[in-house]
Amino acid sequence: MRKMLVLAALMASVTGLSRAARAAGWNMPVGVTEVSRDVYGLHMVIFWICVIIGVIVFGIMFYSLFRYRRSKGAQAAHFHEHTTVEVFWTAIPLLILVAMAIPATATLKDMYDASEAELDVMVTGHQWRWHYHYMGEDITFFSNLDTPREQIDGTAEKGENYLLEVDQPLVLPVGRKVRLLMTSSDVIHSWWVPDLAVKKDAVPGFVNEAWTRIDEPGIYRGQCAELCGKDHAFMPVVVQAMEQEAFDTWLAERKQEAAAAASGVDREWKLEELVERGEKVYGSICASCHQADGQGTPPTFPALAGNQAMMDDLDWHIDVVVNGVSGSAMAAFSGTLNPVDLAAVITYERNAWGNETGDVVQPAEIQALIDP
Amino acid sequence: MWEVVKSVLSAFFGVQREQRRRRDFEQGKPGTFIVVGIVLAMLMVIVVMAIAIMAAG
Ligand SMILES: [Cu+2]
Repeated sequence: MRKMLVLAALMASVTGLSRAARAAGWNMPVGVTEVSRDVYGLHMVIFWICVIIGVIVFGIMFYSLFRYRRSKGAQAAHFHEHTTVEVFWTAIPLLILVAMAIPATATLKDMYDASEAELDVMVTGHQWRWHYHYMGEDITFFSNLDTPREQIDGTAEKGENYLLEVDQPLVLPVGRKVRLLMTSSDVIHSWWVPDLAVKKDAVPGFVNEAWTRIDEPGIYRGQCAELCGKDHAFMPVVVQAMEQEAFDTWLAERKQEAAAAASGVDREWKLEELVERGEKVYGSICASCHQADGQGTPPTFPALAGNQAMMDDLDWHIDVVVNGVSGSAMAAFSGTLNPVDLAAVITYERNAWGNETGDVVQPAEIQALIDP
Repeated sequence: MWEVVKSVLSAFFGVQREQRRRRDFEQGKPGTFIVVGIVLAMLMVIVVMAIAIMAAG
């Protein structure tokens, strides 16, 4: 009876402890997808197997140390081998490993099976932001860190989602299989959202597949999980899952916005208009390398303020922004920014921080350059 | 030959009797053990691959 009580108390404290550990955020999250629950389940099963093995092995060891201690006159046994015992302690771990490998492999197979997805999203890592492209929907956008600079510098109190907040999250519908096609435009990044149990490398020149089917609407946060340069910590992932209906509405709104943003390619733009728009584009896309004040961080990221070569050669400047510079950190932006934004940011760079060229680059010129 | 195979298999498993080990070192030629070892290692790779293909299919 007493033993039973002790055992029950032990069990209760163990389950209480594991629950407390989860609440404190020490354990991995259970997540909101079938796969993430499988992964969590595997993690816990294997954890408890390790605990049981640990208790048995160390229990026997400490018991033997105590029971057969020298002060009690214990004598060491001298024998060379015991084949039966050796076979036994080799076969048991083998069986345990196989027993763990079977469910783990089943889950892995499931994780790799991205077939029959209902929605495809291309995820491209950039230094240092994620870019999302809803394939077949013509919706593309960058997802930039949205934590105020003051919080990072320590002059303001840190917010609840410090470094885990973005201006535009990846919006996904719940209950549908979404395929994520991962790649990168520069170095290796890794797209990681613990609640979805998705962590996949984004490698330049390759397309990796992952998939998810989110059960509950909500906001799920993650980070880049592959060291990718100076702002590696400043390119979080935020996924907003919503009901199908809300998602459809969002999609329609985004399409309208995209159409509105891309419109105006044909009309003549004024210098001030372009500079105003270009400043926003510059702030969200270019400033992380070339700095808000245009001073860059030479030699890797050249200064744009007072850059004579850039000011003297307009065509070269346009070419660098539109097509990038191969072999350098400068990416091509023709695929990720629309012609209006491209024209705006180039005009801004030619007329900001004392660069008073007065040049105006019209969106139509860029349009003609991109698809002649 | 069968004895060599048995010795190589028990080396794969990691358990061997002292008297057999001694006998192998006194009577066996290193060449036969190396050849049998390579053949059995390739066989094991084939078996593991077959199991993996079966499980995937
Ligand atoms: Cu990264």
